[in-house]
Amino acid sequence: MRLQDLKKADASWKDKAVYARYRVESIGSLARLLRHGPGKMREIFSWDWLRTLAGASNLLDMAVYTRTGRYREASAYALAEVIGGIGDLIDSICASPDRVIIHEDLVPSEIFRGMGLAPFMAEVIGIAVPLVKADWAEKYIDIAENEGTPPDTCSLPKCTMGVALDGQFPKSAAIVTSNMPCDGGMASYTILERELKSPCFRLDIPYNFYNDRAIDYFVSELKRMIAWLEEHTPGRMDWDRLKEVCIERNKAMEHELEIWELIRQKPAPMAGEAIWLAQLIHMVATPGSPRATRTMKNILRRTKKIMENGGGALPEERYRAVLWNPPTLVFPELFVWAEQQYGVALLADMLTYHRHPFIDVSSPDSMLRSLAQIIVEGPMARHTRGPAENFFDDLFYLYEYFSLDMIWMAGHIGCKNTMALNGMFRERCREREIPLFIMNYDLSDTRVVSPVDMKKQAEAFMETVMQAEPLL
Amino acid sequence: MNQAVISDFFRQIIDQPVNNLVDQAQEQGKKAIAYTCSYVPQPLLSLDGVFPIRVRAPGVVGTPMADTYLSSVICSYTRSVLELALEWAFDSLDGWVFAASCDHLRRLYDNLDYLNKPAFNHMIDMPHRGGAAAEKWLTEEYKSLGAALAESFGVDASPQALSRSIEEHNAYLSVMREISEMRKQDNPPVTGAMFQTLLAASTSAPKDMVMDELKALLARLREGKEGKPYRARVLLAGSHCDDPGYIDVIEKTGGLVVAERTCTGSIPALAPIPENGAPYETLAERALANISCPRMMESFQARVDEILEAVEEYRADGVVLQTMKFCDTWGVESSPMVQELRKAGVPILKLEREYTMSSEGQLQTRIQAFLESMGK
Repeated sequence: MRLQDLKKADASWKDKAVYARYRVESIGSLARLLRHGPGKMREIFSWDWLRTLAGASNLLDMAVYTRTGRYREASAYALAEVIGGIGDLIDSICASPDRVIIHEDLVPSEIFRGMGLAPFMAEVIGIAVPLVKADWAEKYIDIAENEGTPPDTCSLPKCTMGVALDGQFPKSAAIVTSNMPCDGGMASYTILERELKSPCFRLDIPYNFYNDRAIDYFVSELKRMIAWLEEHTPGRMDWDRLKEVCIERNKAMEHELEIWELIRQKPAPMAGEAIWLAQLIHMVATPGSPRATRTMKNILRRTKKIMENGGGALPEERYRAVLWNPPTLVFPELFVWAEQQYGVALLADMLTYHRHPFIDVSSPDSMLRSLAQIIVEGPMARHTRGPAENFFDDLFYLYEYFSLDMIWMAGHIGCKNTMALNGMFRERCREREIPLFIMNYDLSDTRVVSPVDMKKQAEAFMETVMQAEPLL
Repeated sequence: MNQAVISDFFRQIIDQPVNNLVDQAQEQGKKAIAYTCSYVPQPLLSLDGVFPIRVRAPGVVGTPMADTYLSSVICSYTRSVLELALEWAFDSLDGWVFAASCDHLRRLYDNLDYLNKPAFNHMIDMPHRGGAAAEKWLTEEYKSLGAALAESFGVDASPQALSRSIEEHNAYLSVMREISEMRKQDNPPVTGAMFQTLLAASTSAPKDMVMDELKALLARLREGKEGKPYRARVLLAGSHCDDPGYIDVIEKTGGLVVAERTCTGSIPALAPIPENGAPYETLAERALANISCPRMMESFQARVDEILEAVEEYRADGVVLQTMKFCDTWGVESSPMVQELRKAGVPILKLEREYTMSSEGQLQTRIQAFLESMGK
């Protein structure tokens, strides 16, 4: 299922203008890559993933199709900034080809920026491109499997490995990865290191991290990484520049926390992609960028506007939900559909919810200490790898904090860490009388569970467990 | 070599999840501590008053209850252990010690804690790389385990007591090493299946209760009787493999397993532990130097090199690389490892397996074809 199953909004001329504006902006944020000249364009557009991503402005349809007014505007804006953020990443690797650092998703990319390097999160390809074309990753999953990777390994690292095996990564000065977020993700860098032929640094993150000893250990890992990067790349640590990045991150986080506070209200004045996707890209993939701050600030402003006008983001908010585990990359319309069909407002998800501290910028050591805490306590690190209590405590806290009606668990078949918690999860939810929907799916592979089947599972849950009447 | 001599005593030990020797030791007032990973140091669990039991799951035929909690995409070793735990097979044990080695064992720890609530359930936070900081970290982890054992079981976990335990463990290693060394002979008196039986039995029972039998066996082996003829010498590498039956299938087909580079095998487990240093630090240093598991993330090339060295040392004709299904670290790494070993001219057969022996005929066919491909 994609947009054809959704009811088109009864859009005013103003709504149509909003759509047109952000569609143009989205196209523009990728078109600016043309400034790097025909040679560079030939190189980067030889990558299939980038050619597919060039159609990212179609994502705007998802945000606007069923929405009107300020919520349509906020959603369209958030998606345009998501596309812009990905454009920034590509732009910076084009601008500084000798300073590219390919990195895994759970390492502090702020430090790379502080060192004047151009970070590129390897997994962003497998995250972003299936949002645009649901079955895109399958070719690359097959490449990885044909090379010997087991079919049961998580499809995101498999996709990343497949892209590397197919020669579609930019040349890099170095690779930085860690033992996160899972065994499959960690092991995939053995393949990336061999294929990209770049020196590789690996950060070691402890299993139990809610103590000073773990933070001390990880700070020493970060210092080791900085020294290694100075030896192997043109990057040099500029603590003032890192401070600027950290201040920027703090500003974005202030806005983010305020948004969370506001959406506690019933009905919630913001929901959907403006919450989960915007934060995933701006706070996880590109933290500390001016665009991240601007995006969070503007989403906050729009959230307040919706509040001032009374009512919530959705025309009729009947249910409030959190999406736990990695989001449904191959079916990002899931919550657009759930909004329209049952009045479900998605208020949080596992990858964007965090308990990060503000970065203490008073000294280099204090910055490293805060960044260390952000990484070791990051989403995924905390939930999918650490002790089970981390997973459950956060979720049940969120349930109360946002006054939720149910939990949607994206039961990604390749995530062994969370699959192995589902038995406990069911029982603990039952004890608390929390309706739990565990949806079977695969993060990046529609051949495992199709979007139509995902929707059917959601329908079955909503109509049997929640006794929900469809709105349409 | 008289196989019956091994079978009578040692096979009885490995046929049950918890054997009679464990019961006997407990009756004498000792506490049995279960562990599931080679990064849990045996000498630390062998302090006076406690003894280690490396948990196996013999006899498991299905894991329906464990699948409900762990799901069916978790490695079948962890599922088999949880299945037996849910049948209360390990209920008589006094505690569990885990290492945060991989996703599967971490979740086994979580589920066991939730479902069975062992009175003593300890997790060692195991670094994924070596180096001074990691050694310091792991030393503290081992000291913390020592302190927890002292508090819960009243054992003396002082460095002096641990040094004594290391000495005793070295005595055991010395016997096992001498038997293992015999496998380098042209016609070894001990097969891979027999050796795995000894290893599994001696890690599943109190060491002091098997030492006499091991020494007696060693004396008989020294008499120098030659083993049966074979077609090719095979090095077994890869995942956890504590089932002599698996090796037996390889050997029934004509391959003689001369060494196992696995976390349950002969390499590197039988190397002696230095006795002259600070004992907690020594154990930490030794554990981090053990890179046989691909969870040690910086050591791919070192793992390849160690397999190549073992191939040379044991004059193996080829390598059987067996990986447990659903194990991501071995699953992903085995592909480049096969490439590297082939590049070095070593014949290699990669097999995926479940914890419990199944599809014996299929395995025999694969081994048969492998031996033929080597011209054996």
